[in-house]
Amino acid sequence: MVVEPFAVVRAGLVRTIDASPGLEALASVASADEAMVVVDRLRRGRSVILVAMGLAGEQDAYWLIRALRERFPGHVILGMGANADPNAISRALFTGADGFVDKNVEVEEFVAAIQASGGDEVVIVGPAAASVGTIAEGIERRRSPTFRLTRREREVLVVASEGLTAREIADRLGVRERTVTTHLARIYGKLGVGNRLAALRLAARSGLVSISQDE
Amino acid sequence: MRAVVVAAHRTVRGVIELACREAGVTVVERAETAAAATEACRSSKPELLVLDLELPDADGFRVLTDLGDGCPRSVLVLADRADGDLVLRALRLGARGYVTKAEGLRDLAATIRRVVAGERVMTPAHEKDAMGALGRMARRAREGADVEAGLTPRERQVLELLGGGFTIGQIASRLGISPRTVETHVAKLYRKLGVRTRVQAISRAATLGLVDL
Repeated sequence: MVVEPFAVVRAGLVRTIDASPGLEALASVASADEAMVVVDRLRRGRSVILVAMGLAGEQDAYWLIRALRERFPGHVILGMGANADPNAISRALFTGADGFVDKNVEVEEFVAAIQASGGDEVVIVGPAAASVGTIAEGIERRRSPTFRLTRREREVLVVASEGLTAREIADRLGVRERTVTTHLARIYGKLGVGNRLAALRLAARSGLVSISQDE
Repeated sequence: MRAVVVAAHRTVRGVIELACREAGVTVVERAETAAAATEACRSSKPELLVLDLELPDADGFRVLTDLGDGCPRSVLVLADRADGDLVLRALRLGARGYVTKAEGLRDLAATIRRVVAGERVMTPAHEKDAMGALGRMARRAREGADVEAGLTPRERQVLELLGGGFTIGQIASRLGISPRTVETHVAKLYRKLGVRTRVQAISRAATLGLVDL
């Protein structure tokens, strides 16, 4: 099944798939919404779902990959893009994709990737195949809870690691004290901790801040 | 093109040196330990590092983590064995080639030429194993993040202390709550981790990266 926002690309993919021995395009849709509806109606066993990383809007490609992985764990999900950076691929794998295929490869390679997918191995085809190490690093980074902080929240945490009071942090960042305490509360919530020390310990573990040992 | 050659055994170093010469690479330093290898790379800044993983003082990965961004541009890893996790680890640390001594020593000169030219060199079987390891890693990371997102701060504290080997009573007095309450938290933790015993809980949490053992 193909999920691709651009009609001409979509048509091309369907024709390519139908022309390949052993493959059949079961459906093709333009958005994540439609994809969820159509997958639910697929009365086939294990199928490969190709998701264009270019899906935009609130229900983007990552949203769809995540939703498919949760509701239809039996299917194979492949992200599909053009010259995607390793970071995007890390995110796709982390959210639940079984692999990534670059649209910029030869047709035979593209088809071979679909056929090879569905095993235990991640399939990465295209220029990104040379960046497996970087992709793995990216997954590891996403794992760290501090990754979920916004940039401002990270700044607050980094300054807080110097042992300053909320008032002093506020002065340093040029904001109101109230804003800093709000940020801190949100940081504790995201990191799932109850106080500043625990937050800093987590942040230190993921390398966001360093805490000196001699205190 | 300059290389540092690292291997514990003299014969292996000899084979590597010979291959380097054949590939047109000058060996500027040799080392037998991880510590000496790191030092050699820092001082002579070679373009190529040929690194045996089996070293007497630490595994060869230690050299790559210690060098960090200062790693030579091309790194060829030589190992006794290969499994997905080992190969993926080498790739994450920036290695370009991974060969086992059993298979790789014969055409080492050709391998060195390709690695220096910027190619990634490993057998299709090793490549496949590494992609399997990548898949497992992504799945664990996703599951770990999901479980973690569902824990309350208190449950997280209890889990960390469980991982630290503390008893229910010790956890209770540390957190200043009753043992009964700790038991309740533990029961909820088991449910969220999908386990039934403390050992299972700790091992599952460690697999998901929620506690450090």
